[in-house]
Amino acid sequence: MIPVSFEYVAPTSVEEALSLLTEHGDEAKILAGGHSLLPLMKLRLAAPAVLVDLGTVDSLRYIREEDGQVSIGAMTTYAAVEHSETIRRVIPMLAQAVSLVGDMQVRNRGTLGGALAHADPAGDMPAVVSALGGSVLVQGPHGQREIDISDFFVDIFTSALEPDEILTEIRLRRQEGAAGSYEKFRRRQIDWAIVGAAVSLSIAGGKIGDARVALTNVGPTPVRATAVENALHGVPVDDLRLEDVSQLASENIDPQPELNASSEYKRHLARVLTRRALQSSLA
Amino acid sequence: MKTELSVVGHRSRKVDAAKLATGRAAFTDDVEMRGLLHTKLVKSPHAHARIVNVDTSRAARVPGVHAVITYKDVPRIPYTSAGQSWPEPSPYDQFVLDNKVRFMGDPVAAVAAETPEIAAQAVACIDVEYEELPAVLDPHLSMEPGAPVIHDESESYGIYDPSRNLAAHIDVEIGDVERGIREADIVLRNEFFVQYQQHTCLEPHVTICFFDEDGRLVVRTSTQIPYHARRMLAFALEIPVKDVHIIKPRVGGGFGNKQEVVTEPIAAVLAMKTGRPVKLEYTRTEEFTIARNRHPQHLWLTTGLRRDGTITANSLKVLTNTGAYGTHALTVTGNTGTKPLPLYRTQNMKFFADIVYTNLPISGAFRGYGAPQGFFAMEVQMDEAAEAVGMDPVDFRRLNHIRLGETDLMSAAAGEGSGKKPRVMHSVGLPECLDRGAEASGWAAKRCNPGSGVKRRGMGMCILMQGSGVAGDELAAAALKMNEDASFNLHVGSADIGTGSDTTLCQVAAEVLGVPIENIIIRSGDTDDISFDYGAYASSTAYITGTCVLKAAEDARQQIVAVAARMMEEDPEGLLVHEGRVTSLEGKSVTLREVALECLYGENKTLVIGRGTHATKDSPPPFVAMFAEVEVDIETGQIRPVHIVSAVDVGKALNPDICEGQVEGAVAQGLGYALTEEVQIGDRGQVLNPTFMDYKIFCADDMPELTTILVEAEEPTGPFGAKSVAEIAINGPAPAISNAVYDAVGIRLRSLPMTPEKVLAALDEKSERSAQVSL
Ligand SMILES: Cc1cc2nc3c(=O)[nH]c(=O)nc-3n(C[C@H](O)[C@H](O)[C@H](O)COP(=O)(O)OP(=O)(O)OC[C@H]3O[C@@H](n4cnc5c(N)ncnc54)[C@H](O)[C@@H]3O)c2cc1C
Repeated sequence: MIPVSFEYVAPTSVEEALSLLTEHGDEAKILAGGHSLLPLMKLRLAAPAVLVDLGTVDSLRYIREEDGQVSIGAMTTYAAVEHSETIRRVIPMLAQAVSLVGDMQVRNRGTLGGALAHADPAGDMPAVVSALGGSVLVQGPHGQREIDISDFFVDIFTSALEPDEILTEIRLRRQEGAAGSYEKFRRRQIDWAIVGAAVSLSIAGGKIGDARVALTNVGPTPVRATAVENALHGVPVDDLRLEDVSQLASENIDPQPELNASSEYKRHLARVLTRRALQSSLA
Repeated sequence: MKTELSVVGHRSRKVDAAKLATGRAAFTDDVEMRGLLHTKLVKSPHAHARIVNVDTSRAARVPGVHAVITYKDVPRIPYTSAGQSWPEPSPYDQFVLDNKVRFMGDPVAAVAAETPEIAAQAVACIDVEYEELPAVLDPHLSMEPGAPVIHDESESYGIYDPSRNLAAHIDVEIGDVERGIREADIVLRNEFFVQYQQHTCLEPHVTICFFDEDGRLVVRTSTQIPYHARRMLAFALEIPVKDVHIIKPRVGGGFGNKQEVVTEPIAAVLAMKTGRPVKLEYTRTEEFTIARNRHPQHLWLTTGLRRDGTITANSLKVLTNTGAYGTHALTVTGNTGTKPLPLYRTQNMKFFADIVYTNLPISGAFRGYGAPQGFFAMEVQMDEAAEAVGMDPVDFRRLNHIRLGETDLMSAAAGEGSGKKPRVMHSVGLPECLDRGAEASGWAAKRCNPGSGVKRRGMGMCILMQGSGVAGDELAAAALKMNEDASFNLHVGSADIGTGSDTTLCQVAAEVLGVPIENIIIRSGDTDDISFDYGAYASSTAYITGTCVLKAAEDARQQIVAVAARMMEEDPEGLLVHEGRVTSLEGKSVTLREVALECLYGENKTLVIGRGTHATKDSPPPFVAMFAEVEVDIETGQIRPVHIVSAVDVGKALNPDICEGQVEGAVAQGLGYALTEEVQIGDRGQVLNPTFMDYKIFCADDMPELTTILVEAEEPTGPFGAKSVAEIAINGPAPAISNAVYDAVGIRLRSLPMTPEKVLAALDEKSERSAQVSL
């Protein structure tokens, strides 16, 4: 439970952080809230020689709204998102989902940027942000790029980020008539999701418009339930056959069994949680 | 005795509260020791293997390594790690290190080095050649003909039948069960399964051994059993008892896992080899893999009933998995029968058990000591019995539970101690527990009212009994001396392992001596003191050591009164010791300080030393009626406990805060046992979840509302009427919740932990059954 010794640097700007990453190459790792990285280091599953702490880069902590676009600085903590007036008003689903992450200590330290960059398929934010739709802003030695969230998660613990890049901002768009909900199943309050289902949809004229559904912990990345999304699209809310639609969530996944859940049970949960998330989105 | 109590019965602050809260309490590892060496273990990668060769030469050459030991370096003396009275009723089937490994993780060698890192590095340099042996990983196969014999060594003894892997065996009958079943109108036959549970003490096993200036072995260790540990360690290492000095510092939880001699022997051998202080501390993973667990069992329970609700027979059969070693094998399973069976009045009882070895992690003592397993089966069965005869479960219990003045014959037939004797009930607070628990839980209104949504509510209950010490097998001794300022040093051999017993014992002494609790300076669990004790187990300390402290304090008080009488020229008869003074009926008085100074420096020189020893064959049971309200999500299978009401007959709450704390802690641990905790084992015998990430104990956020009601049915044999409180409540959550789930959704869960998947499977089975019925 003691990490290999490492060097610690605390830059005060993104530029400084970037040049430290370039300088140390593969040896370096970004430190955000540390709630995923430090456990890995203590278990000696990660042993970076240099930790570049973004905790001292104040310019990465903000929540802004402009014309329905919400921009969240990568170092914004879960707790800041959860209690933000802006988020609660513009994207209430995000505040609701964040409140289900870990416990208070985790939410006080963990960051939205870290949660996405870590690309843990059992993490809640990858599926939630995938369902909300949006993009992340990334800065590297050769400038800035924007990655659509649909292209961001590549594999288990692997994102589209290059080792010398920094995720700086999460961009989410508010949609007219939007509704959404995140359902998370766990044995204890502090536990990670056995399965989670995030639903975000818009309703106009009594019909479902765009719908995005993403599942936590049923594959190597957050899994978009496209069959469910297609079955929702354009359907009048009153005609919606929730059971049939949710059933589709369990059909195209191949979840790995784990200590506390068989794959069959995870598939079952995918259906139940998708239905519940749909129900509360439509309520 | 005074009627108004001024210290006992009050919510005195724990005597160690301030130092614990400020981080000043010294646990075993909280010392700086010059030249301390650190220990790491080589552990078996096989479930069952013989060691063909072990080469330590490379490890010994690692700079900073001071000693490497294997079975070749330790005396070949079989012993048991079970901390019980002598001669221990557990098989002598362990060696400090052996040439055979019997479960995955079984220690093979130990290294003492300057730092933990060097020790770990040296461990990696030890080459062990194993001859793998076929392993027994299923207790049902242990006794099969041709099964590999786990204890084939000739030296071990006390094993019931080593050739059949049978560590211990129980077969007792009271009355005639066959006749009882014949006479029954209804017969219930059910099977139950319970899992491995880990104690998850905050502080792992840790021992520091060193030699003092007189060449005696000092063992600073996190233990529940200082005196047993002294005797057992001396035995296992073939050294005189007089050369061993056990010090029990603050202990961060024991729960039975430290009613064992686990880390002491290896640390002691390494200290002998090196002449340096040596520490052996288990990691959390080692706690989960090579310490002790609650015994898994398969239970079969048969109950005969008459339509009027009376019970004609109860017959319990148990198959227990003791793992690789038989520590507490006989006695834990003994309690699986002897605690639940006599709670119900029937002339006919049978209790049959096989306790078998497997090549799996070691089972041992664990809070409740076999009773949680037995009560799970019994109380789920009694719920079904009540239903079968159309009675409310509370009324069914009222009809059938043991009464005041009745005798527990089971404890005489199959009890633990040397002096097996029937237990007579001198105090039974169950009727009041049932009334007040039912009231506080809203039993009548909430039962049979599950609602219709996806989340159904249910109410369940159970009753429990335990003991106060091992019946017929307890001894405690304490000494108390008076100082100039009327303070008293109190030496007891018992072990406060976080339970608060030091505080309770100080309250008893302070009450008798008429001083505030601050005047009592307690030291517990140091074997060089004038004290003796069997240790902190079997819920014994308040009852047994409490009585012994009461006697020591009364002895001291008599001496004080004698001196005060001479000082006041009064008759000692009728003198009262109260509020720091000795007062006569005429109103003359001297302060205790004056008496103390008189004793030490005055005309009547003497040192006031109170002496108390207490041994008893009694072990009066505390009782509990526990009520659980749960919510069952019929789609996910999740069971959420909503409210647990524990009405507990403790005899007398010597300190209500401490009693409530014990009950709440036991309920929390019992909730984990019921719902989330299980040491999971892989197909090679390996522990799959040896971390707090994967082994799921109940956390603060998961706790339901708890209501604890202390019922005081005064126990005539106990100090100030006290019985015990520490273990009993852990037996309750599993059956109460299983019964509440039945009330909510109509399924009987007979396998622990009650996971969501088991709930869903049972719901599916139920709907299939009802579909078949309607066909
Ligand atoms: C007890 C506990 C319970 C938890 N429970 C949950 C839970 O229920 N649900 C859940 O989703 N999570 C849970 N977590 C994980 C938690 O959410 C983490 O905080 C989060 O996954 C990572 O965020 P962080 O800020 O701590 O990142 P860090 O741990 O600091 O970093 C994680 C990874 O991302 C990289 N990184 C971080 N920030 C950036 C950046 N801006 N640009 C590029 N790379 C970056 C780091 O180099 C590292 O590889 C839990 C953690 C703990 C300790």
